[in-house]
Amino acid sequence: MKKLLRTAALAAAVALSLAACSGGGAGNPSNVSPTGEIKPREISWLLSRPADGAVINIMKKLASDYAKDHSGFALNLITTPDRPSYIQKLETLAAANKLPELFDTDATPFAQQLAKQGKMVDVEKLLKNLGVYDSYRPNALNYQRFDDGSLHMIPFQFELEYFWFNKALLKQAGVAVPKSLDDIPAMCTALRAAGITPLAIDGQDQWPLERYVAYQPFRDAGPAFVQKLKKGEAKFSDATGQKTVNWMSRLGEAKCFQDGFSSQGYSDAQNLFTSGKAAMYNIGTWELQSLATDKLNPAVRENIDYFTLPAGSGAATAANEYVATSGIGMAVNSKTFDPLVSDFLKFALEKYPSQYAATGALSPTTNVKTAIPANATPLYKKAIDQAEDLGSKLAMPWDTQLDPTTNTRLQQELVLLVQGNVKPAEFTSTLDATIAQNAPKFFK
Amino acid sequence: MLPNRSRLSVLIFLLPPLLLYGAAVLFPIMQSLFLSFFSWNGISDMEFVGLQNYVHMLTGDAVFWRAFLNALGYLAICLVLQLGGALFVASLLTSLRRGAELIKTLYLLPAVISTVAIAFLFVRIYSIDPVGLLNQVLNWVGLGNLERPWLSDVNTVLAAVSAPEGWRFTGLYMLIIYAALLAVPQELEEAARLDGASRWQIFTKIRFPYIKPVWITTTIMATTYGLRGFDIPYLMTNGGPGQSSELLTTYMYKTAFTSTDFGYASTMSVFIVIECLVAVGLIILMLKRKADA
Repeated sequence: MKKLLRTAALAAAVALSLAACSGGGAGNPSNVSPTGEIKPREISWLLSRPADGAVINIMKKLASDYAKDHSGFALNLITTPDRPSYIQKLETLAAANKLPELFDTDATPFAQQLAKQGKMVDVEKLLKNLGVYDSYRPNALNYQRFDDGSLHMIPFQFELEYFWFNKALLKQAGVAVPKSLDDIPAMCTALRAAGITPLAIDGQDQWPLERYVAYQPFRDAGPAFVQKLKKGEAKFSDATGQKTVNWMSRLGEAKCFQDGFSSQGYSDAQNLFTSGKAAMYNIGTWELQSLATDKLNPAVRENIDYFTLPAGSGAATAANEYVATSGIGMAVNSKTFDPLVSDFLKFALEKYPSQYAATGALSPTTNVKTAIPANATPLYKKAIDQAEDLGSKLAMPWDTQLDPTTNTRLQQELVLLVQGNVKPAEFTSTLDATIAQNAPKFFK
Repeated sequence: MLPNRSRLSVLIFLLPPLLLYGAAVLFPIMQSLFLSFFSWNGISDMEFVGLQNYVHMLTGDAVFWRAFLNALGYLAICLVLQLGGALFVASLLTSLRRGAELIKTLYLLPAVISTVAIAFLFVRIYSIDPVGLLNQVLNWVGLGNLERPWLSDVNTVLAAVSAPEGWRFTGLYMLIIYAALLAVPQELEEAARLDGASRWQIFTKIRFPYIKPVWITTTIMATTYGLRGFDIPYLMTNGGPGQSSELLTTYMYKTAFTSTDFGYASTMSVFIVIECLVAVGLIILMLKRKADA
């Protein structure tokens, strides 16, 4: 207990010492062309990306190339891939006013507060000043924008989320690809009757289940619903809210997810699908290497296909509009932004897209073409090409939209709703009360 | 009584650890107490809210009370496993002539394994798909109807996350109690045996009263460790499903570092300090009363 108390109290101590400087320590977020001499030094990037992933590898290489002409320059990459641990680190450093030159964040309400305090450089102006703004996919930039349209994070990836499915298992259960979201519960019942797990899901990390709650409102009312819901201007008790609550409950009743899903992790879910035990798996193009290359289990390789978020008739959003994210973005600390950081970003952002696309991933920019790996199945190209036919409205993941307390409660209650431990009415009242209590603190 | 000079040197030697204790424990507790009267998210201006956090915690936060009750359940299971198990095994060990060292080492082993490894190990043990050890054993012994996802079932998850914590430290407490039992004078037990005392009578009238000071210390240690339980439940279920395995500590952590409500989290930390002090006070009071009776 002492240790925990110490942790909490240390945070408190940090907090107290900083209370005096809150609001201070920010540079001018609009000054995107700092003048003066470029003085090479070590700069840091606090990030939450896989340690051996393409983004880190490329940026390391670019930093080393830049250092050749700028002796004394180094890019110190401090990565914490586990997102909750990363957020804790970010918030503690933000509280201590010790954020490094570059740091990762989603467009969360907390990040918006940082931006409002002038602690993050205006990225729209910065990218325009560096002459790279127009090369970015509008959707990649829009994903990073706050509600007010301001842009404070630079995207480094672009991912589309699909429902991957096993054709043989669907055929075995006598079901077809769903035409609308409402078809899915009945589909699950048929798959279960055939002894097949309908949907593999990583329940442990909670965000994958939270994706599902966003689907019905996106089709029913478009992206505006969550914008209103998070501020308390729309409610789960509204018609659109009830539609998603009841649908989630029906997914649970139809046993759509694997037994014990809430304690199963990312690799458990993927194994379930790639081993041919689960019929469907909702995941993004970051898993193309596992799902559309010869790395995939040969027993299921020929049977894998995908469909995008079903639209049905009368939907508020088009069939080519679904979840497309540009991942966690990189913010630039306005306090430490100087000619060196600006020059390095110009160097890196110009060279990054081609090197990233060469790894077989979708670049957040449109000026490069993704290289399809030699070991790819035809599905790989199909999944990549889909990015060219993407609509302009995107289904935002709710975990980046809601205030953190509501988000935690929603994730918890969703599991209970799907497991049948709470009824839709109880879920609705709990969540509406949680939003009413917590939203005002973040969305004044 | 120590002569004056010796007393002074004792005080001088005690001062550094006292200062360290003050800086590392008392000061943060006071800081938490101070922060608990504010609303503050780490980057906003601190807003004095008086007792509002306490009022909300005690009267308006259902999750807090759920976490409190869970913490008590977690504590009870841990104490039964740790103290009951330790006393039982230590008593058996005293009657062993050979192999006691090996058994002691085996029981102590979980205490030195990393928490993360234990958490992952038990997640696998409790798993239903793929079938984990527990469900497999139940199946083998004909209790297949009890098979379940232990960590996803709201009725079993609290016990399931408490058991690894209990299992982990049983060996440690067993070692302490075993050492105490070895110190019980053999001649007393022999005399009682000659007078016709049963094993149970020997245990309750001679052994237990003899090891009581050690038992009190062990109980206090186990209770405070149980009340601070955090890592295993956090790693195994993150308090879920829902709030079924949420403890005060995990809830406090999430409030501070997920919800960034440092003021309210500090209020909870103050509650935990008081809770621990009350628990230790109660243990001492109960055992003293029993001794006086």
